[in-house]
Amino acid sequence: MTSTVVIAPLLVALGTAILALLTRRVPRLQRALSVAGAGAYVVGVAVLVRAVRLDPDGRLVYRVSNWDGPFGIVLIADPLSTLMLALAAVVSLVAAVYSVRFVGREGQRLSYHALYHLMVVGVTGALLTGDVFNLFVWFEVMLMSSYVLVAFASDSDATRAALQYAVLNLLGSAVMLLAIGGLYATTGTLNMADMARRLADPTAFGIDPAPVLGLSALLLVVFLLKAGVMPFQFWVPDAYRAAPAPVTAVLAGVVKKVGVYAVVRLYFTVFAAAPLTVSLPGISGGPELGFLAFFGPVLFLMATASAILGGLGAIDQPDMEGLLAYSSIAQIGFIMLPLAVAATAAAPAVRTVGIAAALVYSVNHGLAKSLLFLAVGAAEDAIGSTRLSDLGGLTEVAPVLSGAFLIGALSLVGIPPLTGFFAKLLVFDTAVRAGAPLALAVALAGAILTIAYVTRAWNNAFWGSPGSRVHAAATAARTGRDDGPAVADGGHADAADDAHGTAGDDLATVASIADPVLVGCTLSLAVLLVALGIGFDPLYAAATDAAAAALDTEAYVRAVDPAIAGDAIADGGGTGGDQDVAEQLRALRGDGR
Amino acid sequence: MAELVLALALGTLFAIGTFLVLRRDIVRVVWGVAIISQAANLFLVTMGFGLTGDPAADAPVLTAGEGAMYADPLVQALVLTAIVIGFGTTAFALVLSYRVYEENGTIDLVDLASSPFEGPAARAGEARADGGEPTADDGRSEVADRPAADDAADGGDH
Repeated sequence: MTSTVVIAPLLVALGTAILALLTRRVPRLQRALSVAGAGAYVVGVAVLVRAVRLDPDGRLVYRVSNWDGPFGIVLIADPLSTLMLALAAVVSLVAAVYSVRFVGREGQRLSYHALYHLMVVGVTGALLTGDVFNLFVWFEVMLMSSYVLVAFASDSDATRAALQYAVLNLLGSAVMLLAIGGLYATTGTLNMADMARRLADPTAFGIDPAPVLGLSALLLVVFLLKAGVMPFQFWVPDAYRAAPAPVTAVLAGVVKKVGVYAVVRLYFTVFAAAPLTVSLPGISGGPELGFLAFFGPVLFLMATASAILGGLGAIDQPDMEGLLAYSSIAQIGFIMLPLAVAATAAAPAVRTVGIAAALVYSVNHGLAKSLLFLAVGAAEDAIGSTRLSDLGGLTEVAPVLSGAFLIGALSLVGIPPLTGFFAKLLVFDTAVRAGAPLALAVALAGAILTIAYVTRAWNNAFWGSPGSRVHAAATAARTGRDDGPAVADGGHADAADDAHGTAGDDLATVASIADPVLVGCTLSLAVLLVALGIGFDPLYAAATDAAAAALDTEAYVRAVDPAIAGDAIADGGGTGGDQDVAEQLRALRGDGR
Repeated sequence: MAELVLALALGTLFAIGTFLVLRRDIVRVVWGVAIISQAANLFLVTMGFGLTGDPAADAPVLTAGEGAMYADPLVQALVLTAIVIGFGTTAFALVLSYRVYEENGTIDLVDLASSPFEGPAARAGEARADGGEPTADDGRSEVADRPAADDAADGGDH
């Protein structure tokens, strides 16, 4: 159904970014607008989620400038994109509130809030668009602001990390353009639904589906680069270390998931429609698998490498941010694993469970990893370091923060009442249902590694006796020297160093060294993880709906334009044929209203 | 014929771009990225042509003369968008490489990579230990000289 609600989140985020730019000279107003905008974004997404639920087809379409289906750009909200949008909305609201406290006056002068909301605009657009080239544009919007945000601290580390991040992603963009150009030349369309329709019946449209396999493989590289899956993970640790904590939370929690979303949308909805038999040695790909028979094993290898090597890397990191960054690589392996299994499983039930598992895991990882990055940011803000050797005994000086961190960490591990338990359970369930012992072994090994690095982080940073820096920060907090707005560039480290000499022993009298607003933000995510775990049913239902929507190519095509779903219209080729199609579409849409 | 010329042009551009991206000098890497994205744009334009050798199907730029021919306008719109985006990102990458030079005192990627990640604690406290010899390779003398020369020039500017 056609609806303008689809662009509500997009407009809200864009409006907030523009307002944040306009109010640059009034920092207080800008901060208020930033938080209000993030709140309004949540409302916009909630309205959209509700509208999609109420829609009989479960799909809402917005036609840009009212151009019809394959000719103009369409934005489509279906259960898959709204689930991802909901995750983006929650994480970006919490991170926006966190940013108000975390980013100092200097950072604000450098348009932090405007950039932040522009990044959200890019994410929203990428999740909603139904056009392959438009997806490229939204990716660029998202990446442009994230380049600046990664370089935000603009010290030697941040500039270096940003250069690496920017160069890799610029190359990725070039590859994406190549793939899109090739896809256009091969299939004659950029509209995802139209492409799926044409690929489903290649002979009728005179398409040779074979080149699409290579082109979609190129495209996969780009999405996996965004998601930070193993052979394309180089930028992850440095970028996550360099970016300010709330930005890292959004990068790890939301921007990564856009890559996952794109894989699900394009490979399971669009390319899966092509009836091309691909066979790899050792893999029995039937015609019902199509392209996925090729992408399944490839994704499986990458997911395995991510889960195992990312986990091993996380165990070895000297600092919390590095540990969490490698953990992100490992967890993205857990998200890709059920997708790989789903790709090689012919049974639709297994496919649905596999995609649902990947989506639930994405939500779990999005919330938990943002929580952990925000918690580490709050600790860094108070102590001035995230090195494990500098930390220790945080439970004594920051009990609430430690509690929130523990919940996030346990959710990553997968302890029963939390969301992470069900996410892991679904991953294992997928492997068992598909009868894939190898996938099961990988998931198990990855889970064990998760326990190892989470335990290491907890033992070194939160338990034990407080390190000297923690001591100094605690004393400074007690004597009230550590007041004032938090500064992103580690300005607190100086205060902590000054107070070092007078470190007292009675740490117990200190309630918390961490900033209450920052702690509150992390705590809210922790509460959400517990709540979603206890009341898991709505999330599971949403994920299953999303998985079903992702697999239902026909409904997707029908939603974009009722006329083109029918096989009656052959490709006219000439202008006259196109006009006929357009008129027919217009007539059909007139009936629909 | 047109097919061959375009294919050769694309191949050359990608080869130059790839060669530059693999250099140790940041500025050359950025140039390489810019050239590769221009090559992608060129590729995109060619995707709008029939490239069949049949003048009616090919683009006007390839077969001048007949007036009734149209190239696919969509790819041209795509390329315009891509050029604008590429312009912005290249400008940003160039500014960023200058900033990298300001902060790290080098534009040599091997030197950059060999200085370990410091973290905020180390930044606030200890002096930076600039360990890690640049690995020996053919381009070494050429690249190794540059930071010193640039340092001198930079000192004059400030």
